[in-house]
Amino acid sequence: MPSRPSLNAVVVGLLSALLAFVAVVQVRSQFEVERSLSGVDPTTLAFLIDDLHRANDTLARDAGALAARRAALQGGSNQEAAAQLNAEAAQLRVVEGLVPVHGPGVVVTVDAPLTPLDLQDALDNLRVAGAEALALNDQRLVTSSVINGDSEGVTVDGVSVRGPWTLWAIGDPTRLSSAADQMTRALRDDPRVHSAGYRAESDLVIRSTVVQRPFVYGSA
Amino acid sequence: MTLRRTGAYLLVALTALTFGYLITAQLRAELPVPSNRVVRTEALVRTVQDLESTNAGYRSQISSLRGQIDTLEAQAAQRSDTTQRLRDEVAGLRAHAGVTQLRGPGVVVDLGNGRPGAGATDYLVNFQDIQDVVNLLFQGGAEGVAVNGHRISPLSSFSGPAGTVVIDQGNPLNAPFQVVAVGNRNQMEHLMGDASKLGGLRNRQRALGLALSFQGSPDLTLAPYDSALETRFAQPA
Repeated sequence: MPSRPSLNAVVVGLLSALLAFVAVVQVRSQFEVERSLSGVDPTTLAFLIDDLHRANDTLARDAGALAARRAALQGGSNQEAAAQLNAEAAQLRVVEGLVPVHGPGVVVTVDAPLTPLDLQDALDNLRVAGAEALALNDQRLVTSSVINGDSEGVTVDGVSVRGPWTLWAIGDPTRLSSAADQMTRALRDDPRVHSAGYRAESDLVIRSTVVQRPFVYGSA
Repeated sequence: MTLRRTGAYLLVALTALTFGYLITAQLRAELPVPSNRVVRTEALVRTVQDLESTNAGYRSQISSLRGQIDTLEAQAAQRSDTTQRLRDEVAGLRAHAGVTQLRGPGVVVDLGNGRPGAGATDYLVNFQDIQDVVNLLFQGGAEGVAVNGHRISPLSSFSGPAGTVVIDQGNPLNAPFQVVAVGNRNQMEHLMGDASKLGGLRNRQRALGLALSFQGSPDLTLAPYDSALETRFAQPA
């Protein structure tokens, strides 16, 4: 007849298991803390915090504006709905580059044999700095615009564009000026660059527009 | 007799507990003691995590509000032909801005970090890599693109330190990355398979083991853009 384990043996077993569990948790959690922090640069974290603060401020503003729109629509007025749709259509045409625009911004000029990748990086720098409308020489650009290389230089959405380069950006003038300043300083250190500079403008006009392609493959 | 045996067992258990505690304390003591720098970094990490949580909350709120507004506009459009026409026009603009769901054939591109090299960060996927892939997909006829679920808008920007990608007002993203594009599947597959494209990424794939692969699909769905599309400075001329 097999002997039954006594209550005391069970208690000792449970205590030992608890001990092992606590010890493992303690040691692992310490290792986890060490591992998660390894390689994280405080300066990088500080930049991330700054970016997240700015992003959250923008999101909060947008959420507030959308909440106000919803409240106005809840009144049930057709006129209100039509006014809101008109305002949104006007704003989306600006966002999508479909209409000429004006506003404060910067004009960056670069005389250098820049590649499509150089130009994409420069345009992205300006977008990161809050550019709401962009043009390269006389070509309006949005994120989906295709900058490519051809035998003679660069094409924007299939149209040949030649240097010297002029980048037009409308948006927050302070942030754009700061980005343009850093960018042109870096460009002047590039041996390919003959000259690079920028000027801030209180009311810049971008007349060129994007030709929008209708969707062929995608649907809502 | 039983009482004495119970006492013995308890003594053994207590001894085991004490022994275990001492071993744990010793092991912890062997680990590096957190310096002030580590403590500061820990505090910064916690701040980033809090801000990320707030960020996700706002984006969820924006998505929800856009949905509610759409419903209210649909109700208004039922009462007025003019409102209905405006709503149809705005629907087309919203689709091109990426603020509505998009479904269709396309390509899924997967990217992952490689093997750490001698101190450099080239083995990490960076924001320029993601930007290059997104640009190539647009060149191949993408009508909509999303990175790790974050839809690309006409104003989208890419930034971030090595190994981190920040798109617009979103949270920092880390590898593995998945870029999903809806559009001309054949052309996008052709460009992704072209060895002369994405040169820098392919070189690091060979040298440092970065992961880069793609697959076409007949039916993909992109979620709507969930961040702000602000134009505070640019106005129609």
